[in-house]
Amino acid sequence: MSSPVQLGALRTALAALDGGLKSARGALSFGDARLDAALGGAGLPLGRWHEAAGEGLEGETGVAAGAFVACVAARLANRGAVVWAMRRADLYPPGLAGLGFPAERLIQVRVRDEAQALAVLEEALGSVGVVAAIAEVGGVDLLAGRRLTLACEVHGATGFIVRRRPFGGGAPPGAKGSAAATRWRIAPAPSVPAAGEPGLGPPRWRLTLDRAPGGRPGAWIVEFDHGPYPLRVVAELADPLLASPQPRRATG
Amino acid sequence: MVRGVRRVVAVDRVGRPLHLYVHHTAADAASHVSDLLTGEADPVADQADLEAISDWAARFSPAVAPDPPDGLFLDITGVAHLWGGETALMDDLLARLAAAGLPARAAVASTTGAAWAVAHFGEGFGAPGAQAGVIIPPGGEAAALRTLPIEALRCEAAVARQFDHLGIAKVAQLMALPRDQVARRFGAAVPRRLDHALGEVPEALIFRRPAAPDLARLSLAEPISAPEDLARVTRDIAVQLCARLETRRVGARCFTLSFHGVDGRARRLEVSLALPSRDPAALARLFAPKLETVDPGFGLEVVTLVAEETAPLTARQARWDPGEDGSLEDDAIAPLIDRLTNRLGEGAVWRAAPFPSHLPERASVSRAPLSPAQAPERWDPDHPRPLRLFARPEPVEVTALAPDDPPRLFRWRGVIHRVRLAEGPERLAPEWWRAPFDTADERESELGGRDYYQVENETGARFWLFREGRYRSDRPTRWWLHGLF
Repeated sequence: MSSPVQLGALRTALAALDGGLKSARGALSFGDARLDAALGGAGLPLGRWHEAAGEGLEGETGVAAGAFVACVAARLANRGAVVWAMRRADLYPPGLAGLGFPAERLIQVRVRDEAQALAVLEEALGSVGVVAAIAEVGGVDLLAGRRLTLACEVHGATGFIVRRRPFGGGAPPGAKGSAAATRWRIAPAPSVPAAGEPGLGPPRWRLTLDRAPGGRPGAWIVEFDHGPYPLRVVAELADPLLASPQPRRATG
Repeated sequence: MVRGVRRVVAVDRVGRPLHLYVHHTAADAASHVSDLLTGEADPVADQADLEAISDWAARFSPAVAPDPPDGLFLDITGVAHLWGGETALMDDLLARLAAAGLPARAAVASTTGAAWAVAHFGEGFGAPGAQAGVIIPPGGEAAALRTLPIEALRCEAAVARQFDHLGIAKVAQLMALPRDQVARRFGAAVPRRLDHALGEVPEALIFRRPAAPDLARLSLAEPISAPEDLARVTRDIAVQLCARLETRRVGARCFTLSFHGVDGRARRLEVSLALPSRDPAALARLFAPKLETVDPGFGLEVVTLVAEETAPLTARQARWDPGEDGSLEDDAIAPLIDRLTNRLGEGAVWRAAPFPSHLPERASVSRAPLSPAQAPERWDPDHPRPLRLFARPEPVEVTALAPDDPPRLFRWRGVIHRVRLAEGPERLAPEWWRAPFDTADERESELGGRDYYQVENETGARFWLFREGRYRSDRPTRWWLHGLF
């Protein structure tokens, strides 16, 4: 019972058994009752895949959406490997580390195109030892989305899509009606420096939840926190329609 | 051709009885043989052909060293048993060369020098019906060399001629001379060559591929070309090699699969792994997508699989809990890393490691995904760093109240951002120790370091800007955007 091969076989067998118990996947709490309630009570469902997008310039740079995903995935990273697939390798590990993500353990993958990014994401999600996988793509169509869902179910890994279009590119195709479990829009929000201190406060983001299974859409202002829950809700916005600076596009 | 004189460069078994010799001028040769046709020597093409034959010979042993202009060294240590003995191997080699229209002479010996000497100057090779190869038993080198001419020691022609003038024609005479006098008179190369031939000093050869004892070889009864046959043969040979690795309790990180076709060409496929392994099924899976690229031509008859970069496999300590270094996790994800690396290419999959440099573009380096973690270096959490760093900073137009003030307004990609909050400057000096010593002063004053500001615009988006160099009145201050938070 000591060889790594046997250990791997055991782990595979366990994972196969686990595949039959989808409810046992659990959820990742945000540490805030308001956010968790909007997600159906327990928090972000694990063993599914989630989509985070930005607006305007954010849609090209993918900064706020990337930061949100990093904050969420950071809490999974102690359970296994995290894979991040991207076309433009501009992810800066010291910045990730600043968000509490163990950047030196992140496996980064550079891909040539969208299809390859999705293929890497699917392969990583279906692999033993991977707890979360992230891909930066313009959009996920329905077929690719279903494949991702199936891949997530193999071992219960959680997938993240950071919606990011090429610099100067138009709106990504397949932007509507994806099969994501939850869909988020992330935008930066003005920070509030501590009273009497110069400089910037902790970074803040405005999260807009557009879609959640068994939950309800909502919008919140969150602030980065070094505690156990990196995203601390500082305000709940009453109506996501009002909270959004741009008119909300019809989504599926 | 030397100084405009056309000379004979090669003589074959037809030419030798006709008294043609290497270095004869073409005119002399034509006077011996009236109907001699001459052609230009093409050493470059000869060299290319020799390399092609070297690659072909890899079917006999992975360690092949070309010996220009017309020789090959094969290290057959540990591979002769695949043929059932050295004699069988040599006969097979010579028969295949002869079938390809390349008559050859071969000698097997414990030292390179002895094998070379006997193959080039041994007796009884030229006669019809005589054996084409000689096997010198271990320890028999000295006896085999005694009767050979001095040239058999691979010394320079001028040195050999000097021996000739002194009446020393055979190696046996040279062996009888005091070694130090020979070295003083003819240079150290001559006794060293003798030592090489006798095995007293090991000789380094430059092999086409490094010697690897972990070789499996399948000789097929009939040439194959169908894709499913290739896949099956790949599985079979992987099983064979991995069984051998298992007995030695090692795994390998690099596998080279070669298909040798009936046309004498070798098709080579390589797979490299993140961690040493000897799992034949995984190996066959990694090779499977690459088999499509193999052009079987008229059929493939020999398959070899070589394992390189071997490392002990059982020495890894199995753990039940993931350690700080994530060693358990590494074992689990190694197959994924291998699949991604072999599909996307080396360098497309990596992990970041901290590097002790304060320059942002150098503070993080890529390392192989499963290489053991370096020293527990950490990125300094006190200095805020952006999530996205541009490979090359982008120029921005900045308005600041005073040259030393943080920016108030900047334009990036045609959009004007009003700065609501700013933090800085964080001054990063250039690494003068990396510049050439003389220019360090100039560069320092020219670059003058960078002043980084973290600024937030009215929507809360954060930017990492820097001002280049010190403020100087005689030139405008330049600003760059280096990253986004």
